[in-house]
Amino acid sequence: MANVTLKVNGETRSASVPPETTLLRLLRDQFNLTGAKLGCDVGDCGACTVIVDGQPVNSCLMLVGQVEGREVLTIEGLATADHLHALQKLFEHFGSLQCGFCGPGVILSAKALLDENPDPSTQEIRDALGGNLCRCTGYTKMIEAIKGAACILRGEEVPAVKSA
Amino acid sequence: MKSFEFFAAKDSNHAVTLLAQHAANAKVKIIAGGTDLLADLKFAAHGPDVVVDISRADDLKNITMTEQGLNIGALVTHTQIMRSPLICQLFPALVDAAHTIGAVQTRNLGTLGGNLVTAVPSMDSGPTLMALEAIVTIAGNGGRRQVPLSEFFVGPRKTILKPDELLTEIIIPKQNVGKPTHFLKFGLRKGQALALVNVAASFWVDWEKNAFLAPRIALGAVAPKVIRAPQAEAYLEGRTITPEAMAEAGRVAVGDAKPISDFRASAEYRRHLVAVLTKRALEGAWALAQTRRLEGSNGKRNA
Repeated sequence: MANVTLKVNGETRSASVPPETTLLRLLRDQFNLTGAKLGCDVGDCGACTVIVDGQPVNSCLMLVGQVEGREVLTIEGLATADHLHALQKLFEHFGSLQCGFCGPGVILSAKALLDENPDPSTQEIRDALGGNLCRCTGYTKMIEAIKGAACILRGEEVPAVKSA
Repeated sequence: MKSFEFFAAKDSNHAVTLLAQHAANAKVKIIAGGTDLLADLKFAAHGPDVVVDISRADDLKNITMTEQGLNIGALVTHTQIMRSPLICQLFPALVDAAHTIGAVQTRNLGTLGGNLVTAVPSMDSGPTLMALEAIVTIAGNGGRRQVPLSEFFVGPRKTILKPDELLTEIIIPKQNVGKPTHFLKFGLRKGQALALVNVAASFWVDWEKNAFLAPRIALGAVAPKVIRAPQAEAYLEGRTITPEAMAEAGRVAVGDAKPISDFRASAEYRRHLVAVLTKRALEGAWALAQTRRLEGSNGKRNA
């Protein structure tokens, strides 16, 4: 068994699991954090996206031994009980998700983008979401929400949106 | 996934020690970014007995200019390549190639060394490095050795690495640092797609004669491994730079390629792509050479 200790959403967590366990399985099965989804399990779909040490990664492609001592942010760590993150608010406002399975990964990819680039172009947003497959929405309303959230995070008003 | 023992290496020397300890009597795999390895192991009938994790070997994460040339540690991620000021300035083709790999999440994990070691013929890091005549350093129990990248690949998913050896760095030799180079990939989508064909073209310019000097063309996904296009290179050597010459070099390069038909594209379509992409890659390198000349930087040898 492998003993692993890491920081998840600001809290130090430990577990003893077989070494072939992925970060995704650790989060879901040991820590009950089921926001990160098990989709393809090979790094194509992005439903398992979490942020490790500031960078979005596929949690299905990391072994627990590789995340020892690292800091992980999952969708559960983005909001508090009474305060949603701007991205979550705007995804809700724009109706950016339908089935929602890709949502946690998409929002974390978007968060990592906005942390580095507070005013991304549409192309930059599309590139940032290139590893998050959504088969419901066509991405348009996600991009509107991410642009809106970027405005809020920059301290500006969200411009009125034509399609809303 | 099948069960295995897991060891984390502190640095490359520790990794070599761990490999020496285990490779003799067990099946050992090295994990770096894990983007290829874990995707494979989840479907593998027989997994490794031991996995050696090198993702914390910080001595393999540097991008530096040395006596030998531009030295890129094997653990440098595709994202790091895209953000390296040194690489952006000297080799935009490497940045373009890194950008076409996978998506943000896999580029954050995946490493240059891993892309080469996996040795998939459609790898996107291969052609640019082959065109630039890169050299790789391999560390083993008996010390370190260097081989040209062209000799590193053996066939699909096969390299010359022995079970107890580790790829530690990729070097673009000094004489090619700053050589105008252009990379192009044709995939069925912009993201998360393997190349149907990818091409890199690189040459110096003899500005007095307006001619190709030391042209190098490398092709991916059209042979069992990434290959150079010797006939196209020979055609261009010393020839005056014209749009016609670049188009003809593309046609000649088709003769250097040995593509197969598979579910992504037919051999015939891949041959067509070789001609078009080679021509466009040459045009891209030519544009870069001209821009650098205007800027007064190193678009030519012996500036």
